[in-house]
Amino acid sequence: MAITEAHAGRRYPPTDPYHVSAAKIAEFATALGDDNPRYRGDSPIAPPTFAAVISSRAWQQLFADPELALSVERIVHGDQRFTFVRPLRPGDIVIATARIDRVRVRGGSELISATVDITGRDSEPICAAQATFAHAREAAV
Amino acid sequence: MKATVVEGVEVGTMLPPMTVRFTRERLVRYAGASTDFNPIHYSEYFAGRIGLPGVIAHGMLTMGIALRIVTNWVGDPSRVIGYAVRFTRPVVVPDDADGVEVEFSGSVSAVDGSLVTVSIEAISDGQKVLGAARAEVDLGVRVPHRDHEA
Repeated sequence: MAITEAHAGRRYPPTDPYHVSAAKIAEFATALGDDNPRYRGDSPIAPPTFAAVISSRAWQQLFADPELALSVERIVHGDQRFTFVRPLRPGDIVIATARIDRVRVRGGSELISATVDITGRDSEPICAAQATFAHAREAAV
Repeated sequence: MKATVVEGVEVGTMLPPMTVRFTRERLVRYAGASTDFNPIHYSEYFAGRIGLPGVIAHGMLTMGIALRIVTNWVGDPSRVIGYAVRFTRPVVVPDDADGVEVEFSGSVSAVDGSLVTVSIEAISDGQKVLGAARAEVDLGVRVPHRDHEA
């Protein structure tokens, strides 16, 4: 099997719940070299792009889908958009649900557009992460 | 929360620029923090195997750092309601003490009530590494419109 344009609309089950912690938020902010005080202290929020940590768990499902026959080492992140309803906070227990929006074939690459919805309790919308990945069919020499 | 930047915000307002040094240490730190352990971000061998000129920064690291331009300016990161980039070129990070510098700049490209769009540029080695990078910020307070309220 291989990925085709017909895979648009393919949906994946939600990831296992992710527990957001103050320690992980602080570690992530430090990795960005970001000393914003809102990421630390008694009631921190997560840096906006922390959403990628959770989205990536859903992307991995897609990359590993045997139906699509993708090679992870030939996938490049082409673009990324986040739409935030509210920031992530310690204590949030969230899941990520991925779907393929569109597949385009361009030369030796497939361009895969996918949306991951990050939701909290009672399906509370928190963030949507839309990404395009380019998958090269042949390994570069 | 007080929005400190509303006064004087208009299309063309420049945000304070920022230069950030990307080193291998930063990539390893981000790999651990983000749980993205793709070896092209720490191993010449794996980077070379897919035709890259060297170890490259995670696109999400560059995206995350670029947003500091906006969150430093607005103060409260929860005011960011949207953020999008294209990864146009990889940031190649040499295995030495200096790494590579990335220069970030930002300017207001649209104002609509309390919603402000900031366009961000990121330059490494003379080349744009992010394309169409835009953050949408809700300042929570309607930005005075110069033509009517000045």
